[in-house]
Amino acid sequence: MTDGLPILPPTKERVLKLLNYTDLDPHETVTVLPPKMGMATPEKIAINSVMAGCLPQFMPVVLNCVKSLSCEKFNITGINATTHPVAMCTIMNGPLSKEIGTGSGAGCLGPGNLANATIGRALRLCMINIAGAVPGVGDHATMGSPAKYSYAFGENETENPWESLSVERGHDRSVSTTTVIAVEAPQNVNDHRSQTAEDLLDTIAKTASTPGCNNSHVPGEFLLIMSPEHAKTVYNHGFSKQDVKEYLHEHCIVDVELADRGGRKIEPEWIEGGHVHITRSPEDIVLVVAGGVGRHSMICHGFGTSSESVTLPIMLKNGVIPKSVEDFKK
Amino acid sequence: MIVKVVEKDVMDPVAETGDHKIELNKVNPDFKKLTLFNNTKPGADVILDYLGENLGKSELIRVKKPAGAPATPNQIKKAAMGDVAILGLGDCGSCSSWVILDAIRLEKLGVPTISICSTSFSEFSHELAKAHGAENLNIVKVQHPIAGTTTSEIQDKTRQILPLIKELLGNLEV
Repeated sequence: MTDGLPILPPTKERVLKLLNYTDLDPHETVTVLPPKMGMATPEKIAINSVMAGCLPQFMPVVLNCVKSLSCEKFNITGINATTHPVAMCTIMNGPLSKEIGTGSGAGCLGPGNLANATIGRALRLCMINIAGAVPGVGDHATMGSPAKYSYAFGENETENPWESLSVERGHDRSVSTTTVIAVEAPQNVNDHRSQTAEDLLDTIAKTASTPGCNNSHVPGEFLLIMSPEHAKTVYNHGFSKQDVKEYLHEHCIVDVELADRGGRKIEPEWIEGGHVHITRSPEDIVLVVAGGVGRHSMICHGFGTSSESVTLPIMLKNGVIPKSVEDFKK
Repeated sequence: MIVKVVEKDVMDPVAETGDHKIELNKVNPDFKKLTLFNNTKPGADVILDYLGENLGKSELIRVKKPAGAPATPNQIKKAAMGDVAILGLGDCGSCSSWVILDAIRLEKLGVPTISICSTSFSEFSHELAKAHGAENLNIVKVQHPIAGTTTSEIQDKTRQILPLIKELLGNLEV
């Protein structure tokens, strides 16, 4: 099955070109994906990646993302089956991301970049064909979301005034990583006038603090994709990345009466006065910098308490960190 | 519209699945302790309260669990203190998934279970159970929707499934 768009036919010749970029056995089970409990092998991942239009050099990235889905805290069981329009967003960091031409600048969440478009699409096709997350059968999203077609981008590391997501999570700059995070489609924050960090962060906080999101009744992670210009304003006023997280955690709140209309009853410990925080702690704010010129940032609400993002280094089978995707070639 | 495209020698993108099976537990008709495992979905408490009041068991163990995620080890441990566990409510994709998967966790611990899922999610729940090797897991269908309806409507819907639940529990009067 496809995502509804035309695909590149997965001929054996094309699939073998992708399999040339993994040092794993084509038939070994990388992970088992629910709801169908389909066995994700490098061969099946490659077939779906060919269908998505991936270049062979993208294979290490797609495979790494599929691996990370099996982390229990990501809760792919819930993510695939839910009625909520949550999508899998992939954030790429490090030298391999640059090497394959990942889009991290202007229009990085939109059309026009082969790596972004096809890597995200390959993951969705893997969910459909390997996991069995077929809309209406194993994927019960009430309406779904355009973000479920493809949702991948690179962090704009060169214009990020802070440390990148990958470095923040303990990886050296020379290590390439993928981060998968379960989030809704992005919501824009247009702020052209704020002169201070606080004013700009207030705009972001007010935009994020909406009762209809999962975060309001089951607080958890949300993704903030800050444009380089917004990040620069905040950074120039002395805010560290941690300061931003703490400020937003404090100010992203929803009235409890409105928040308690979601699918799960709000736990009493989350209620503070007449409101709830949409994050459990400052660490729930996953902050990255991406995009081109302009004073727009993006908020992507999460699945709530039930899913946490996973950052995984891209490694060869023997644990060595590759300097290039060519290191995977047999 | 269905478009038929034929191209030779393409590889199959669909994954294979395993064929493992798990042993399910039978209810001892003389059981004493009944666990009501509540995932806090709207109406789950109404359904489980109604069952608790009408199944004639004096020893009820009430445990809450997350809706769209697995129960914690402590929640499972407490739920497993019952001789039988009734789990509710699966009326969406993620909550149905984790009602079924937590029921399977309890079955693996030797506790017979009954999962309550709404009619709109019962087919998926059966398929999920089957994929996890538990094709014959007890899943009772309650009429969808539950969320957004009144307490009396939910009680009416629960009344309709009471006879089947009594039957699954053994020698209780139907």
